[in-house]
Amino acid sequence: MSTPILVPQLGNEITEAEVTEWLKSPGDAIEQGELIAVITTTKMSMEIEAPASGTLGAIVVPEGELAEVGATLATIE
Amino acid sequence: MPKTLAVDPEKTMQRGEVAFARVPVHAYDTPFADERRAYGDEGLRAALRHMIVIREFETMLGTFKATGAYEGIAYTYKGPAHLSLGQEGAAVGAALALEPDDHIFGSHRSHGEFLAKGLSAIDKMDASRLETIMDEHKGGALKRLVSEHVGGTGKTLAENFLLFGLLAEIFMRESGFNGGMGGSMHAFFPPFGTYPNNAIVGASAGIATGAALRKKLAGNGGICVANAGDGSTGCGPVWEAMNFAAMAQYDTLWDDAVKGGLPVLFFFNNNFYAMGGQTSGETMGWERLSRIGAAVNPASMHAETVDGSNPLAVADAVHRKRALLLEGKGPALLDVECYRISGHSTTDANVYRTRQELKAWERFDPISRFGTQLVEAGVLGQDDVEQMREEVRRAITAVTRAVVDPEIAPVIDIPADPTAIGKLMFSNTEIDLPEGQAPLLKQPEESAPIRQIARKARTGKGEDGEALSPMRAVTVRDGLFESVLAHMTCDERLVAYGEECREWGGAFGVYRGLSDIMPYHRLFNSPISEAAIVATAVGYALEGGRALVELMYGDFIGRAGDEIFNQMAKWQSMSAGELQVPVVLRCSVGSKYGAQHSQDWSALISHMPGLKVLYPATPYDAKGLMASALASNDPVVMFESQRLYDTVEQFRTDGVPEDYYRIPMGEPDIKRQGKDVTVLTIGPALYTAIKAADTLEETANLSCEVIDVRSLVPFNYEKVLESVKKTGHLLIVTEASERGSFAMTLSANVARFAFADLKAAPRVLGSPNWIVPGAEMEQTYFPQPADIIDIVTGEFYPERRSNRLGIRNWDDIELSKLGI
Repeated sequence: MSTPILVPQLGNEITEAEVTEWLKSPGDAIEQGELIAVITTTKMSMEIEAPASGTLGAIVVPEGELAEVGATLATIE
Repeated sequence: MPKTLAVDPEKTMQRGEVAFARVPVHAYDTPFADERRAYGDEGLRAALRHMIVIREFETMLGTFKATGAYEGIAYTYKGPAHLSLGQEGAAVGAALALEPDDHIFGSHRSHGEFLAKGLSAIDKMDASRLETIMDEHKGGALKRLVSEHVGGTGKTLAENFLLFGLLAEIFMRESGFNGGMGGSMHAFFPPFGTYPNNAIVGASAGIATGAALRKKLAGNGGICVANAGDGSTGCGPVWEAMNFAAMAQYDTLWDDAVKGGLPVLFFFNNNFYAMGGQTSGETMGWERLSRIGAAVNPASMHAETVDGSNPLAVADAVHRKRALLLEGKGPALLDVECYRISGHSTTDANVYRTRQELKAWERFDPISRFGTQLVEAGVLGQDDVEQMREEVRRAITAVTRAVVDPEIAPVIDIPADPTAIGKLMFSNTEIDLPEGQAPLLKQPEESAPIRQIARKARTGKGEDGEALSPMRAVTVRDGLFESVLAHMTCDERLVAYGEECREWGGAFGVYRGLSDIMPYHRLFNSPISEAAIVATAVGYALEGGRALVELMYGDFIGRAGDEIFNQMAKWQSMSAGELQVPVVLRCSVGSKYGAQHSQDWSALISHMPGLKVLYPATPYDAKGLMASALASNDPVVMFESQRLYDTVEQFRTDGVPEDYYRIPMGEPDIKRQGKDVTVLTIGPALYTAIKAADTLEETANLSCEVIDVRSLVPFNYEKVLESVKKTGHLLIVTEASERGSFAMTLSANVARFAFADLKAAPRVLGSPNWIVPGAEMEQTYFPQPADIIDIVTGEFYPERRSNRLGIRNWDDIELSKLGI
């Protein structure tokens, strides 16, 4: 089963965020709750926790690119 | 909120009790023989003489106030005389233990503090340093004046110089140490280590704390002393300052080179009365003042109660505290009991204390007590004491006779130059961006949030003319940040702090990424202490640093009222330009959060002489004005609209330059050309006006010239007057409530300056004179494009009148009767 890692809702006025850093690479074993990426909005940076345990699959949004709220950043297989 | 410091529930929830470091009370017991060996007879005689100088000097002031004459010299002194008769032991004792490079910041009863420190510095400095100081002060003018009219050589000349400079200042003469702009409660002379005394009770606490921060970071040695009275322990800003000086982060988070508490001594001259209120037993709960140290940190601030009637006991305590401070164990607190035998001021009739009480304290008069001690020990004879008094009286008489003579020491000739004081308000100077780089934790390009800005487009429009999102184009927030980054990375003197300024990057993320590269001592989280934030910034700047501080919301200006209005705004002018206050105070203007978080108080700040006031509304202006603010040697208050932080550049087709640039303060900017109406905007009202101008162009064929003030103080009217000459109509739009707003000032002035060009009276459109409602109702409160259109077509061009679009159909005259 694959679980998507999504850009969370970050407030009413925030529509998109930038992936500033991937803390894990594809193929890495991941525990649920582990920090896997840092995203940045116009106003703040926040860490993204793994929504499930498994292995990090393909990265959809690489570092330095923007993604809209709700978009898939990567998946956990 | 540093992640390196975990809040551990297992630890914090453990049973226990809070222990307090003990606070000694009158523990001094050094044998006199030891003191005599340490100071020498000469040193002890000097201490007595210094107390006599203070007593005689203040007696002279009191005599002038009471009788209009002293030693046959007639003079009417109109100013204040807050005397410290009886407290001389505290001032002289402290000065005995201080070095010339220690800096004292005074209370409002400060003649004694000033004289004691000055006399001590003169004693401790060598002759050539004294000569240099006197030669360099105003090009040697005061030294020449004193040499000619009072006389003396060497240290005697330096003492006469000290007395003359102080008395001339008290009598508001141009030759006073502060050009006659300070007066009795504000005299100071930095070369002798005396910094501003303060007419505001307790105000020196925060300023001395900031100065101590600068001393610590500059590594130039010495300590700072915050002189205050016992009454000041009732003042919130004093507590804020003590906590600021004791913040744990100096030990837990700061680099080893700057680790440790601030080298500041809170020296409470405890004369038992706050004017007429009795502190111990009536107005305060501490019973003993020194107890409050226990409330501040585990070391109880090394607090002690000492006998202020004995200069040697005071010197002993100050000496020990000074050593602790230099070891990084500050702050320290002394409760120095020194009964005031004179009134609070010359109008004090002693209605709050009995004759018996005054009588009981006679035994503790520091001068008779110490004099007797020295005579009994054979340090000097009784005749010597009398001779000492006589010599001091003669010296003070000679100085007084010269100072009251308007030929020798005139007041500034204001009629000859009516704006002379005005010219002292600002230095109008700025620094160059220093070359080289200050030490950083890592390079800016290694910080992800900083890199993010570098990837953004410099204009708010894409290649096809589409509006870019704030994630893709440089915003007002980024513009501010780029100039902050430029100054912070190359100017080690500059420190930035405020609530949540570090990891959070400020509550609105303006400093995002800065904590990646800045060491703690350059960028730190402050406590929620707005008064201390501003006061310490002022002190840091007076001591030679530069400070960028933040009040999260402009609505918190009230919490730092005195510090902004009386300290930040005044020391440039009250020192006649001797001191500068390079402080930038950022205040965001909120919205959505209702009445206490959404107010534009720019008028309040602009009302205070001595502050430059900026309110940029575009990324280009934000960057250029922030650079000018940071480069300025004058204090600047920068208003920033929270609604505009995410705004991208919409006016300059070539966008926001990547390189560093400055926009001169005081120049409004035409954001849209027009010929029928001039709309002058303050802050975010720019965008409201642009929307209205678009609609007016389309629907009424009226073209608006929209001018953004950008800067409230200073303000160049010329561009506005030129525009009004063309349009004949002026509408000023502000989000501040109208009554007393800066828009009203602009309106009144343009009406006067351009009366002949105006076809109608200038019109102000602001927010109504009631509270800012919450987000759901904000559109009914802040001016809307429809309100602008209603005024332009309803009042300026009634022939184009359409149905009213907005809701402001009210009668201002009737509302005013109701106070709204």
